[in-house]
Amino acid sequence: MTAVESETPAAAPEGTGAQRRFGGFALQEYALVIVVVLLFVVGAILKPDSFPTWDNVRNMLTQASVVGVLAMGMTFVIATSGIDLSVGSVLAAAGMFGGILVDPEGSTLVFVLGAVGFATLLGTVNAISISYGRVVPFIATLAMFSIARGIALLLNDKLPVSLLDLNGGSFGDPAVFSLLWFGTGRILGIPISVFVFLGITAGAWLLLNRTRYGRFVVAVGGNRQAAKIAGVPVRRTIFTVYVLMGVLVGIAAVLLCARLGSASPVSGNLYELDAIGAVVIGGTSLAGGRASIVGTFLGVLTFALIFSLMTQLDLSTEVQQVVKGAIVLGAVLLQRPEARL
Amino acid sequence: MEAATATTTLDVRGLRKEFPGVTALQGVDFDVRAGEVHCLLGPNGAGKSTLIKCVSGVVEPTDGEIFLGGEPLPVGDPAASLDRGVATIYQELDLVDELTVAQSVFLAHEPRRGPFLDLDRMAEETTALLERLGHAGIAPRAKIHSLRPAAQQVVSIARALSRDLRLLIMDEPSAILDDGEVETLFEVVRRLTADGVAVVYISHRLDEIRRIGDRVTVLSDGRTAATGLPASTPTDKLVELMVGRAVERLYPERPSGHEDVVLEVRGLRRLPEVRSASLELRAGEVVGLGGLVGSGRTELLRLIYGLDLPDEGEVYVDGERLPQGRPDRAIAAGLGFAPEDRKSQGLLLDWSLVKNVSLADLGRFQRGLLNVRAERSAAAEHLRSLKTVPDDPDRRVGDLSGGNQQKVVLARWLLRHCRVLLLDEPTRGVDVATKAELYRVITGLAKEGLAVLVVSSELEELAGICSRILVMRDGELVFEVEGSKASERELLRHAVAPRDSEDFVEEVR
Repeated sequence: MTAVESETPAAAPEGTGAQRRFGGFALQEYALVIVVVLLFVVGAILKPDSFPTWDNVRNMLTQASVVGVLAMGMTFVIATSGIDLSVGSVLAAAGMFGGILVDPEGSTLVFVLGAVGFATLLGTVNAISISYGRVVPFIATLAMFSIARGIALLLNDKLPVSLLDLNGGSFGDPAVFSLLWFGTGRILGIPISVFVFLGITAGAWLLLNRTRYGRFVVAVGGNRQAAKIAGVPVRRTIFTVYVLMGVLVGIAAVLLCARLGSASPVSGNLYELDAIGAVVIGGTSLAGGRASIVGTFLGVLTFALIFSLMTQLDLSTEVQQVVKGAIVLGAVLLQRPEARL
Repeated sequence: MEAATATTTLDVRGLRKEFPGVTALQGVDFDVRAGEVHCLLGPNGAGKSTLIKCVSGVVEPTDGEIFLGGEPLPVGDPAASLDRGVATIYQELDLVDELTVAQSVFLAHEPRRGPFLDLDRMAEETTALLERLGHAGIAPRAKIHSLRPAAQQVVSIARALSRDLRLLIMDEPSAILDDGEVETLFEVVRRLTADGVAVVYISHRLDEIRRIGDRVTVLSDGRTAATGLPASTPTDKLVELMVGRAVERLYPERPSGHEDVVLEVRGLRRLPEVRSASLELRAGEVVGLGGLVGSGRTELLRLIYGLDLPDEGEVYVDGERLPQGRPDRAIAAGLGFAPEDRKSQGLLLDWSLVKNVSLADLGRFQRGLLNVRAERSAAAEHLRSLKTVPDDPDRRVGDLSGGNQQKVVLARWLLRHCRVLLLDEPTRGVDVATKAELYRVITGLAKEGLAVLVVSSELEELAGICSRILVMRDGELVFEVEGSKASERELLRHAVAPRDSEDFVEEVR
């Protein structure tokens, strides 16, 4: 008996290419690879002297690594059909907390533990209010967006904290394991922060695709009732996703502070949009139930290339903001067929 | 081409529909006269849904003609079909829970006075429509969610009537109704046909055809296997036309059950649906749970499984008490649950068969990381043992027919080595041939030692496969009978209120 009765025929012509898979790789992911290559070629043609250089690529990747780490966590959050609007603010608060915790020439480790610990704490507050308090993620994290920014500004009276001298760091030639080393140091010519980003990407891929936990995350987003009936611990899964997001925000905060040599209470502005945008461009469904780490990775690269290109073409940050929002809106519009009720 | 006689409301000629990779309809002929109920039969996948979607304009046919009242119907245009008086009542009711009855009836064509809604007229006309359907008892201001499914269906029909109705297509309207409510629905249909409305009636319950139908058309593999048969055509003949061969036996041998009690339910209560329920389930038996829709059967299963918290009462598996409200612990103790609504509660439609099967038992494939190869082969083995079609474990579950989706849910619990299966309406929306197959699977599992509790609104099927049958009424278990001694009529008598039960049964027969 062929299974064509109710859904198939009507749904098949409507279904978007994003769902079709070839050899385990979604069509959307192939499309993104092409987009990334095209953007690079366009950049190389428009700015042949400055764009296709190793320096520029390295710069792009270093900058992308902060948002990239956030986007990995955001993939898990969105896969549960949640959202986290607070990541930019929490990132600033985490950096500031680590900054005031550590002496000017103190230990990198203290800073890292402080920043990651504080971000995890704020992530846990999100987790509790969403999974046990049953506040919708949009509202819970919007509230945290405000709370965390306020904390960031309060911690050092709206002033940034210098972190240049942790463990003997100095620009140009930072000592190994100084904070600056994480931001500007290199191994084999590749920045440490890029290694961190790639490592977290690989870890996220394994967690999502090769563990029971990852399966639970997507199941919860795909059909909460069905997941519960199959024995998936729905609340615990949702809880851990926001805690995990907190941990990754802390790591992103360390990478950002390490690159700048300071923690600023106004940093991380609009990073939530960058992270959400990269995830959505990558094909993870905002309605939950479908997630792709490879897609998110390519989404991060796409964003990085677009903004590097716009910067080199001397387009103002205001123009870039408009473009960024438009891209995210466009990506969500393309997802519509899945999101339909 | 010239249309058929004047009394022909719908005339479909040589209808073909090709989807990428599959031909759903390969030349279907079909006509419906004014004032008749024309039943449309066919196994899942035969093309019934595609056919009615072509008529209602949701799907555009590849080839062929559709005439409505002698005029060619513009194809692929739902608004055109609607304007010409074609209305469809789908199995899943498309009403909005929070709207009132009157708002639902006039949704998207509200009567207006100037720019404002004419609420009085809306209420009046709604009352008139409901009266015409013999359901003046439904209040126009009642919220949809406060109505039972049967009443919601009447509202859907009233909505169809609120426009000029010539052809009403009903896609398995009885699937969500119990036997008593089905009769009420038939009364409504009779009123419509008396007014000259043509009705296309799709159902998997063959007995309904004789009760409501005038003529029958059988579809098989996208072709008309037979059209315009009288409704009195013997059931065997219809089944044979549907499956292209004779079905040897609908019901397999009934399992007898062992001594040892696996599941014990003591005094479960959750008001208002479940007032008090105690039962025992022995290994190797299939116990039926009959009753009217709304008698608390589904709610009882949910309580046993821990999806809802009981007001009081306990559940024991092998003498161990289950913690309340913990489906994961119930699963660990050996329970499995196949919910009534496979699509919204049982399955992740976008996921592959493999992932749906393994979801409840991923732990056994995880040694650090998931062994996806072992997962795939274990899931495939159970899918194969249940003869799931298609035989491709990487297919999307949403693409499967209802019967095969049910098998995916069963495969999940087989993989998990579950020992107590709770099945809620396992054969709903499934054709006769697949039903027979599911009956064999269910009784087969019991013979392997599983204890099975089956909720069904089809009392005949309970009488056909169960070792024992319990009847639930108003939240209480009121009757128990051995399966071999059960009759549909007796079960129905206990399922309805005792006072007027005799009259009621007479009315139904």
